Amino acid sequence: MTPIIEFDGVSKWYGNVIGLNKLTLHVPAGVTGLLGPNGAGKSTLLQLATGQLRPSQGTVRVLGQHVWDNPALNRLVGLCPEQDAFYEWMTGHDFVRTCARLSGLGRNEATEAADRAMETVGMTENMHRAIRGYSKGMRQRTKLAQALVHGPRVLFLDEPLTGTDPVARRDLIEVIRGLGATGCSVLVSSHVLHEIRALTPRVVLLHRGRLVAEGHVREIRDLIDKHPHRIVLVCDKYRDLAAKLAACDDVDGIKFLDRESGLLVETRQPDAFYARLPGLAGGVAVREVYSEDDNLEAVFKYLVSK
Amino acid sequence: MTATDAPPVRRAPPIEWSALAALFALTVRQHTHGRRVLVLGLLYLLPCALAVLLRNLSRPAPADALEFALVFAILPHGLAPLTALLYAAGVVADEVEEQTLTYLLTRSVPRWLLYLTKLLATLCVTTALVAVAVVALYVAIYAGTGELWSVALPRAGRVVVIMALAQVGYCALFGFMGLATRRSLLGGIAYIVAVEGFIANTDFVGRALTVVYYVRTLALRWLDLPAGLLRQCQQSWGMTDLDKLPSSGECALTLLVFGAVVSVVSALMFARSEFRVKTPGSD
Repeated sequence: MTPIIEFDGVSKWYGNVIGLNKLTLHVPAGVTGLLGPNGAGKSTLLQLATGQLRPSQGTVRVLGQHVWDNPALNRLVGLCPEQDAFYEWMTGHDFVRTCARLSGLGRNEATEAADRAMETVGMTENMHRAIRGYSKGMRQRTKLAQALVHGPRVLFLDEPLTGTDPVARRDLIEVIRGLGATGCSVLVSSHVLHEIRALTPRVVLLHRGRLVAEGHVREIRDLIDKHPHRIVLVCDKYRDLAAKLAACDDVDGIKFLDRESGLLVETRQPDAFYARLPGLAGGVAVREVYSEDDNLEAVFKYLVSK
Repeated sequence: MTATDAPPVRRAPPIEWSALAALFALTVRQHTHGRRVLVLGLLYLLPCALAVLLRNLSRPAPADALEFALVFAILPHGLAPLTALLYAAGVVADEVEEQTLTYLLTRSVPRWLLYLTKLLATLCVTTALVAVAVVALYVAIYAGTGELWSVALPRAGRVVVIMALAQVGYCALFGFMGLATRRSLLGGIAYIVAVEGFIANTDFVGRALTVVYYVRTLALRWLDLPAGLLRQCQQSWGMTDLDKLPSSGECALTLLVFGAVVSVVSALMFARSEFRVKTPGSD
């Protein structure tokens, strides 16, 4: 499949800091998730792909064209940036219409396109209110509307679900999946695996500016599942509980967390462990159970070390 | 759909005029929203209020003296460059600061033209503001003298043209400073005081490098000032020998060419610059 987005040996340095490190990546048409913890280089990659930054080394192409200062290509590309920045004094509709005009659409064409884009993201009701009064969800929807108002063929979305409420999240996921279904190629970044899983099965994993893995989300998931999960159990009689857990085959390690009155348990079969936990605990009242792996950083460190 | 299935990339025309018009309108709206225009409005009211006050004393101040002090001193030395500085230095810096530059850089406007369009819009706004200030000052000074319609307002029109030429130089210069330095406001104020204030008032060849020098020369040549006011201006500015001064055309051309060259250099600088947006994740 011919790639829509091509990074060939791309590095980006900010002084002594490496943003991207010799990245070679070919993204095909369709929806692709860009996954990585904070600081992985996702935003740098998207800024390079949209011609805001120039690579220090290597080449970046979108739709077969160089991206730096290429206004003709910009007409075919949309970007929903991560930063929560707007011309606050505008209404949502005015903002999206202005973005359409900046993409070369005529007055009437831009008005109609803004109407359509705001409808697509579910903002018709609030589109004539000033942006400064919008909730986080409305702002994310408006950012998405400006990205797609000119009918781009390639869409770059930088953490589009950050800070949204469950309803907005569900709606935005539907919109993004819908865009993919209509033939628009989408590269969407996130640091949350389940967000990406809801959008697409195809993922790219970045960590510290390097490509860690790419492929089907199932393959990535399998890799992640090999990582010993770290589960914290908080309870009063944690030493008694530790004695019971030590006898279990699926427990790889136990560490006492005296300050928290708890245990840190390592297991490679988290689902089975969670299922058996109520029986294992017996008479021990477990007050809190949480996974330390909610932060992807730990998982990525594991994947990089493999 | 793949890249090969997709229709070929449409080669947009080299310049999208509707996009430029939208960018121009956006910049004008940015400049006319917000506190900056209110602050400048209040600043412009001060000399007008002073003129009204001094004209209504029991022994009113002469209109000529007020015109010299307010129109030919405070305006070109203070208000006009300050207006240009406040707007032009922020042409790019404000967009970077507010993280909205992304919305402009990812549109179908070439970078160099993006800068020039924003600078042109800024020039129009600052010229309009200074024009309003000039007319308001002349009205405040000459209202009730019988010379308002016959003398003052026609002269105000010519002063507006001179100030517009001055704004070309100032906006280009401060736009460049906004790109080249992070402390453009401080640098701009230092420039206004040291160069347009001190050097322009020192009678040596270096003053030909100041905007005020050409503004004064044009004022002496274009304004048909009454003899008393003309003499006062020449003596105060150290420009008694008109034959040694450049012609009106040379003055206008110098300001226009200077503005054009500095603007083009700035536009090329902008086109080559990267503006990294810091994200919450510090990616």
